[in-house]
Amino acid sequence: MNALVENGAVPLVEPVPIEKLKMTVSASRLNCWLQCRLKFYFRYVLKITKPKTAALHYGSVVHLVLQHWNMARWRKQPFDLTKLKQVFDTGWLDQGSPINWDGEEPEQKTSAWAVLEKYFTDTPIKANEMPEAVEVAVEADLGKHGLPVLIGVLDLVRAGGRIVDFKSAAKTPDNDMALHTNGVQLDCYSILYREGTGKREAGRELHHLIKTKVPKVIITEAGPMMEYQRNRLFRLMEDYVEGLDRENFVPAPGFGCMGCEYLGNCRKWEGGRH
Amino acid sequence: MITLEANYSKKLGLPGYSSHQFSVSLKSELTDISQAEQESARLYRVLQQSVDSNIQQIGFLPGEPAKPNLNGHQNGNGNGHHKPETDKWACSDKQRDLILKITDENKLDKAKVEQLAMDRFSKGVKLLNKLEASGLIEELLEQNGQSKPRNQRFGQKAGAR
Repeated sequence: MNALVENGAVPLVEPVPIEKLKMTVSASRLNCWLQCRLKFYFRYVLKITKPKTAALHYGSVVHLVLQHWNMARWRKQPFDLTKLKQVFDTGWLDQGSPINWDGEEPEQKTSAWAVLEKYFTDTPIKANEMPEAVEVAVEADLGKHGLPVLIGVLDLVRAGGRIVDFKSAAKTPDNDMALHTNGVQLDCYSILYREGTGKREAGRELHHLIKTKVPKVIITEAGPMMEYQRNRLFRLMEDYVEGLDRENFVPAPGFGCMGCEYLGNCRKWEGGRH
Repeated sequence: MITLEANYSKKLGLPGYSSHQFSVSLKSELTDISQAEQESARLYRVLQQSVDSNIQQIGFLPGEPAKPNLNGHQNGNGNGHHKPETDKWACSDKQRDLILKITDENKLDKAKVEQLAMDRFSKGVKLLNKLEASGLIEELLEQNGQSKPRNQRFGQKAGAR
């Protein structure tokens, strides 16, 4: 195990037991599992933490401001751009460990606020639209399907049961591809919503905040989860549980490796059992 | 800021020459007077639903063995009252216990917790579904300075998120 841990990486003293990981599953864990099982091993079993990247901080702060905006509507408070800017400024300063900005922090900060301002102008959500839920933690016991408990936090459920997930991205997404690549997450949210309310969601929406030079907002809409989509998700969860049972933590070399924070750890893997 | 205050009260006759009455009041803040008509209609609907759902629990009647009183949150506070046999909450048992625990530990006024649920979800605490109860719990924790970051909401579970 130690051979896989490179300099600067911080593993927990004890890895997380596989049995514990099998008890629950989330969209993030499932996506990581599908992306690369060795990455999953580093992140969720060994719990190796890495310094925050510039892109991650950008997305976190954008998300934080949107959360405050949603909460304010939920609390029937008037829209206050000055207050949101304060949340943004405070959130931006709270960087934890040093972030490698490549000298571009001021530009990134300007870009992040610009894309938020664009979103507040272009959003399809009206100022007086009361959310059904904001940042709520929900779980769905899928034991009757022989699957773990699904856990997750819903960013926003709009009035009438429209599930919204916010994304910050560098490029304008293709609608079909966005739905395909975010399918696992959207379907997880549908299951959580149905479990939490006993109702079927009215639809799902991805709100992309595009950080191009001229910021853009793209809304990708999907209908409620179909049965085949649920079946696909359940098959993926089965694979997650079976793979964990076999401790099947093999790497998946590909284009994703270029931005992977565990590349250094991965290269040290010699093909042995963990 | 304009404040709209609404009250809904209902009195029902019961067997044995008894009756019971229940009323709920709430205040709503408006930013514009033009919202008054729509908000007033909403408040009426919400209050009526709340009263109707609660007043069905008739509680103790003279000449009968004591029945559980389902109005209010009287269970689990150690005041010697009988624990209701059918104290039904729409959320999960775990969520119900957590709401009661937060209320007890922070000595919150139960009427204010009920009011918060009415404000946010237009229904009483016991009628909140799991999604709504999760939102109420988060709001109660935040109001009492106990809110956890997003990635720690499932504290006891492995690798949440």
